[in-house]
Amino acid sequence: MGNYIARRLIQAVPLLFAISIVAFWIVKAQPGGPLAAYEGNPDFTEADRQRLEHAFGLDQPLPLQYLTWLGAFVRLDWGYSFSSQQPVLTLIGERLPNTLYLMGTVFVVVVLLTIPIGVLTALKQYSWFDHIVTGTVFTFLSTPTFWLGLLLIIVFGLELRWLPLGGLQTLGQPFDLGDRIRHLVLPVATIALVQMGGHVRYLRASMLETIGQDYMRTARAKGLAERVVVLRHALKNAAIPLVTIIALDMPELFVGAVVTEQIFGWPGMGRLFIDSALRSDYPVLQGILAISSALIVFSNLVADVLYGWLDPRIRFS
Amino acid sequence: MSRLLTLAIAIIFVATACGAPTAAPSGAPSASAAASAQIQRGGTAIIAIWQEPSTLGAPYGNQTILGVVINGTVEGLVDTANDGTYVPTLVTKVPDVANGGVAVKGDKMDVTWTLQKGIKWSDGEPLTSADIKFTWELWLKDPKVNTRTGFDQIESIDLPDDLTAVVHYKSIYAPYPRNFSSILPKHLLEKEADVTKTDYVRRPLGTGPYKITDFKAGDSITLEKNPNYRGAPDKPYLDKIIFKSVPSSQVALAQLQAGEVQAMWNLTEAQTPDVEKTAGLALQVVPGPTVERIEMNTAQNKMYTDPNSVHPVLGDIAVRKALLYATPKQQLIDKLLFGKATPGTSPISQGWAAYREPQEGYDPAKASKTLDDAGWVKGSDGIRSKNGVRASITYTTTTGDQLRERVQQVLVDEWKAIGIEVKITNQPSATFLSGSCQSNDPRKLGTYDIDMFASTPAIDPHTTMLRYHSKRIPTQADCAGENYTRFKDPATDAALDAAGSTLDLEKRKAYYATAMKALNNAYVIIWLYNRATIDARVDALQGWQPNAWRSFTWQMQDWWLKK
Repeated sequence: MGNYIARRLIQAVPLLFAISIVAFWIVKAQPGGPLAAYEGNPDFTEADRQRLEHAFGLDQPLPLQYLTWLGAFVRLDWGYSFSSQQPVLTLIGERLPNTLYLMGTVFVVVVLLTIPIGVLTALKQYSWFDHIVTGTVFTFLSTPTFWLGLLLIIVFGLELRWLPLGGLQTLGQPFDLGDRIRHLVLPVATIALVQMGGHVRYLRASMLETIGQDYMRTARAKGLAERVVVLRHALKNAAIPLVTIIALDMPELFVGAVVTEQIFGWPGMGRLFIDSALRSDYPVLQGILAISSALIVFSNLVADVLYGWLDPRIRFS
Repeated sequence: MSRLLTLAIAIIFVATACGAPTAAPSGAPSASAAASAQIQRGGTAIIAIWQEPSTLGAPYGNQTILGVVINGTVEGLVDTANDGTYVPTLVTKVPDVANGGVAVKGDKMDVTWTLQKGIKWSDGEPLTSADIKFTWELWLKDPKVNTRTGFDQIESIDLPDDLTAVVHYKSIYAPYPRNFSSILPKHLLEKEADVTKTDYVRRPLGTGPYKITDFKAGDSITLEKNPNYRGAPDKPYLDKIIFKSVPSSQVALAQLQAGEVQAMWNLTEAQTPDVEKTAGLALQVVPGPTVERIEMNTAQNKMYTDPNSVHPVLGDIAVRKALLYATPKQQLIDKLLFGKATPGTSPISQGWAAYREPQEGYDPAKASKTLDDAGWVKGSDGIRSKNGVRASITYTTTTGDQLRERVQQVLVDEWKAIGIEVKITNQPSATFLSGSCQSNDPRKLGTYDIDMFASTPAIDPHTTMLRYHSKRIPTQADCAGENYTRFKDPATDAALDAAGSTLDLEKRKAYYATAMKALNNAYVIIWLYNRATIDARVDALQGWQPNAWRSFTWQMQDWWLKK
């Protein structure tokens, strides 16, 4: 397995390299550019434009810009934001904890709800509970997050006034755990409700498949308690595909939910990405894209390795 | 199962450990001092802002929101009053020729600034004339500053004493009071090789009523009383002001209505009815200098157009007149801008140089007659033509701007009714408003028929007026310049040149008026409407002063909260 992991990691290097080239060109191909924002200033002159282009290295040919960026990047110098002048790593470092805080909560909520609901819908297939869950799951699965988020804000924030409309905490107040949790409820619900749907359906399907297997009958025939049959024999096997899917959610944990963070004014990675895209802040965009592509490659590897770990029948060669 | 469980626990642990919340700064509750008259002291005001200030360093930023946030902290030598005149803030008087503060020496000039005694930075260090000189030096030295306009006209600065700075200009530079609108602290920054890498760009040190104590990216910026403020301990009245970053103006409005914030920056006209119908909220509508206009390309619509070529349709002044006569400005304002704007008259609608002679009003019959008289004959489809040229033009503005798209719908119908066919060819603002030939700005290249956009003149109108100088027509050889209509008039050029070489405001005003009159007589621009700056607040937040030139945070030392 060590060999397998090593080989996959080596394979990832040219892949990430290719991704970085594509990402670099896509980012640069946006119309406007980082200096477009200065145009509203009647005092901004052509000389100012040329000076800033030089200061930001934008007057270099594109391949040279890329190589300069890459050279610094591998030495962990991710450059400076054009608009805020802060180091890219500092900007990411400020936002990452907020995103992990939000997405980590989502992750826990999704896992804790998916497993019992998925198992129950499979055990009680075609019961009223199954029908209600299936209907609800498909409703949320087909709801865009931006719409669901706004709906929750309107109902629970504006109409009922039960929960705050957005942000990390109530400003100007000392730290208060209850306040923090109240601010978490709506954004977590928005992402979790949409994300959970797929997971519940996967678990239900694979549970149904497992329950029909011969060894389940054997386990029951041995006289094992139903709880043990379901949890140890059925769920353990049925959860394997779910683990893969959850491992593939990992990049989101770090990169954040762009739409939800935007709606709820959450100071996380997703908003940093949007703001930087709107400002053509190339160094920041490049940094976030590099992190997310590396995480996607890495989480695929993690999913594959976990799969083998949980299911000894799978051999890496 | 045990492996699954281990995995789940491990992930939960990582997630919660990383998500450990950081403590919010605790606000010290204030004992409200015995208030004079009805003014009440103390309290916190939260202002929703829906643009995220990326930097708070005045030399580096280019966002409107930068000024909104640092207004209470970073001050200039002078400020701008609502009527567009300069008022002293850190200095004893605004220097001009009459009071001896400005000495003209041939084609050069000297400006003498005298600081008020006893002004301190919020860290307690004294403000001196060396800070004025340092401000100029930094702007010239640092390659990352936004614009050097004005500072590049300064030859040298002498400091006869701690309170006096004599600025030697190498030309007659009329907008000199604007140069020093953000004074930088020499004692803090002089040893820094690169100011952008310091804490200054997040927590700038200033002389204003508030100091910035906390900057949470994407979340909030906290201002607290500056104990060394020259108005202390009387002012400022509020203990704290927090700028809260929200994702959009809709969210800002929702939070204002829900009572989560006490004020919000920058509403659209369409949002004003929501504020008006909510009890306890007040609108602050200030007529601003921003003018939405329609410009007509008088040269051929092609790449790097020749300024001397003639547009087949818009080259005829009769067509340009007819388009103006068939533009219902007041109707657009009433229906689409909720009455919160005024009809445009010129590029300069505010301040000492304002030119408010109205353009001819809405009269579609007159428009049709003008076209008839000029020989534009209606065809079977109702569209006019002349000598085989069909009166068909394109209309370009920014994509995705709801208000502009609605204006276009109205005008396309109005103009079709008089026999002019208009096709909409909108482009993303990153292209259309890029102001750059490389980014294919159609206005710069001359690849448009009529366009629509807004522009805001600076407090000194000279750079704005230069847009109408024939030397400022963008070409392939020299893409600088914003004379997008390719308007050429020797008398206008002469008036603008004359205005740029005198410091006499009355004379300058007359020169600009001559230029604006000639511009309007050429019918190359329809001044649609003067846009207002609209902010909102709770009724309890008092002490606001309107100012056409400054954002609503310009005098926060006077704000107070009614409890």
